[in-house]
Amino acid sequence: MLYKKKAPLAAFLLPGFIMLFIFLYIPFVDNIRNSLYNMKGFVELQKFIGLSNYQEMLQDAKLHTALINSLKMMALTVVFQVGIALILAVLVNNIKKGQQLFRTVYFFPIVISATAIGLLFNLFYNYNGGALNQILEAAGKEPVNWLGASTALIMIVIPTIWSYVGFYFVIILTGLCDISEDIYEAAAIDGCNKSQAVFRITLPLLRGVICTCITLAVTGALKVFDLPWVIAPQGAPGGITHFMGTYMYQMAFVNLNVDYGAAIAVVIVALGVAVSLIINKILKPDENL
Amino acid sequence: MRNFKKVVALLIVTMMVFVTLSACGSGNKETTAADTKETAAGGETTGEADTSVTDEKITLTTASMMGGTDPNTEHYQEVIQAFMKKYPNVTIEDSSQVSDQTWKAKIAAQFSVGDEPDVIQFFTDNNASEVLAADQFVTIEEIRKVYPDYAADVMDSAWQASANPDGVNRAVPTTGFWEGLFCNKDLFDEYGLELPTDWDSFIKAVETFKENGIVPVAVSLNEVPHYWIEHLMLSAAGGEVFTEVPTDADGNLVARSPEEWVKGLEILKELYDMGAFPKDSQTISNDAANELFKTKQAAMQLDGSWYANGIDDQENTVVIAFPVVENGNKGPNDIIGGLSSGFYITRKAWDDPLKRAAAVEFVKMNTSKEQIEIYWNGNGMATVELEAPADMTPLGVSGLELSNAATGTFAPTDARIAGEAYSSIITSAVDLVNGTKTAEEILNNALQINIDSQE
Repeated sequence: MLYKKKAPLAAFLLPGFIMLFIFLYIPFVDNIRNSLYNMKGFVELQKFIGLSNYQEMLQDAKLHTALINSLKMMALTVVFQVGIALILAVLVNNIKKGQQLFRTVYFFPIVISATAIGLLFNLFYNYNGGALNQILEAAGKEPVNWLGASTALIMIVIPTIWSYVGFYFVIILTGLCDISEDIYEAAAIDGCNKSQAVFRITLPLLRGVICTCITLAVTGALKVFDLPWVIAPQGAPGGITHFMGTYMYQMAFVNLNVDYGAAIAVVIVALGVAVSLIINKILKPDENL
Repeated sequence: MRNFKKVVALLIVTMMVFVTLSACGSGNKETTAADTKETAAGGETTGEADTSVTDEKITLTTASMMGGTDPNTEHYQEVIQAFMKKYPNVTIEDSSQVSDQTWKAKIAAQFSVGDEPDVIQFFTDNNASEVLAADQFVTIEEIRKVYPDYAADVMDSAWQASANPDGVNRAVPTTGFWEGLFCNKDLFDEYGLELPTDWDSFIKAVETFKENGIVPVAVSLNEVPHYWIEHLMLSAAGGEVFTEVPTDADGNLVARSPEEWVKGLEILKELYDMGAFPKDSQTISNDAANELFKTKQAAMQLDGSWYANGIDDQENTVVIAFPVVENGNKGPNDIIGGLSSGFYITRKAWDDPLKRAAAVEFVKMNTSKEQIEIYWNGNGMATVELEAPADMTPLGVSGLELSNAATGTFAPTDARIAGEAYSSIITSAVDLVNGTKTAEEILNNALQINIDSQE
């Protein structure tokens, strides 16, 4: 064993654990309890209603929309966020000059606050005089209601995905640097060309990293709140662009139906755990190939 | 090297422990200060409570709705600065913000966990129901026992209008509000239209503006459909039916909304289908809708007295009473308005001997006749007797005429039903115009939530 004395180990781990316990685990258990009661305000429990909130969820059409949107978001983030990040990382890894420049450029959107990005895109999508409609009008076309019922979801998904590509890009790039040059050289001697090297060497060796990225992307998609809420608050128009995170916020803080919001929060956690387990089962990151 | 690492590690741990414990431990100072003050006071003449502001260093936490884009933000901040100048030992920590659903929820949360401010300017009607339930406010009667001249300038009618739902006065009201239909008169003149004082001229205006590429009415159905919902219901039902929450013969609340309420609300969908609202009214923010009106891209906007000062063009904008809808029961000059906010002192501050006098002084400074005149600024309703200022803008005059000519002033629905119930109507406005919910469903559901919340 690395540490002979356990006492210092415990001493250093304890403060962090205490904070987690007080500010995460206790509120979490509290939240589960809150979802079983009818609540008045944010603290007062009024009446025990058991699983009535969960039963209500089965009938709630807007919740179903939010769930489907979250699942769509998960799929899109895996394909586009991680996918594009992977492609960019492989490409950037293969160039000699300008690697630092590309790293900075692709990482930059993450540094910008999501709220700022949301407000920016709001100005782009504005029907009366937004940037996109100004371009259309200058080209002689009719302005488009970008956040109308048919296009709203895509218009929200695009900036959400764009803003976090850099994050996975950096993670994958770091993972790529871990792959030893010797393997590539050996493969080159055996007559392997560039694309074969990517598919036969790079991707399999990146398996663990990609699995981590996919897990992060999927659980992040489940929690996403700031960007959709800023671009289309309350799931505008008409609740069709709700995600689980925004719907929970709406129920708890706008509709003031706190116990229902608490129940949705429990469902989000359960869903997140379930999805992570499924991904781990499918990708099997720790198995030796 | 190892020694160096040990030293660094020890330093970091010490810093972490220090930071974690630094929040505690300030309680000791207060008891010693109070002790010294009591022993000092003991030496003075007996029988009279010391009502002057303490000399000790204290912090007064305050909150108000005069923050952000509210026109009175500057004036309120000036009072704070003047107060801190007069009493250099008192630091005021203010957290003011324009009121919206999120802020109301935040204040309610603060009160439920005991983190409330010492002085707060807040609602006096049902909007404050959750906060009032915490029972953390001192009543005016209690304050006047110790400070008989507290808020002496406020008119009797103002006290009556600003009592809490249980009939007790706890807040000192400063100004009231009215709501009306703001019109860009220059646009009406350009297209030869009369101001929409009745429903026919309103519809004509909507149709004409639509044909000419002007947005007839600026509104964000997603964020602030409040005023349209209120006025359509008032216009259809008339003041009496509008302000009565339905009960059965025994006086128990029922979840059956009056026919007139439903008829009024249904007009919202009719107007939406007619194209009276912006094309993206379901997604734009309230600020964007305001911009449409202020930049003359929209002709009309239904809003309140707080909106008037923010309009750049004070010459060509007027505000009129909302017209009476077809078969409606409202009087042509009935308006929605009232006195629904004021300055409260919380028990936390009142029971603290160091903070009590400071809190009272702060409220007094904000509610003197001079200060109320500054807050009023010719806008809305004043709670003390004032005259119209000589330099009032045409829009200001228009607003004053509106409130002076009002044959009836009725409080909006959120003054009468629980917050959660009202929210359910507001958040269903978009469903209503999309046809996914009917007006009757929305109103009956809200009344049911109101009934459930009374238990």
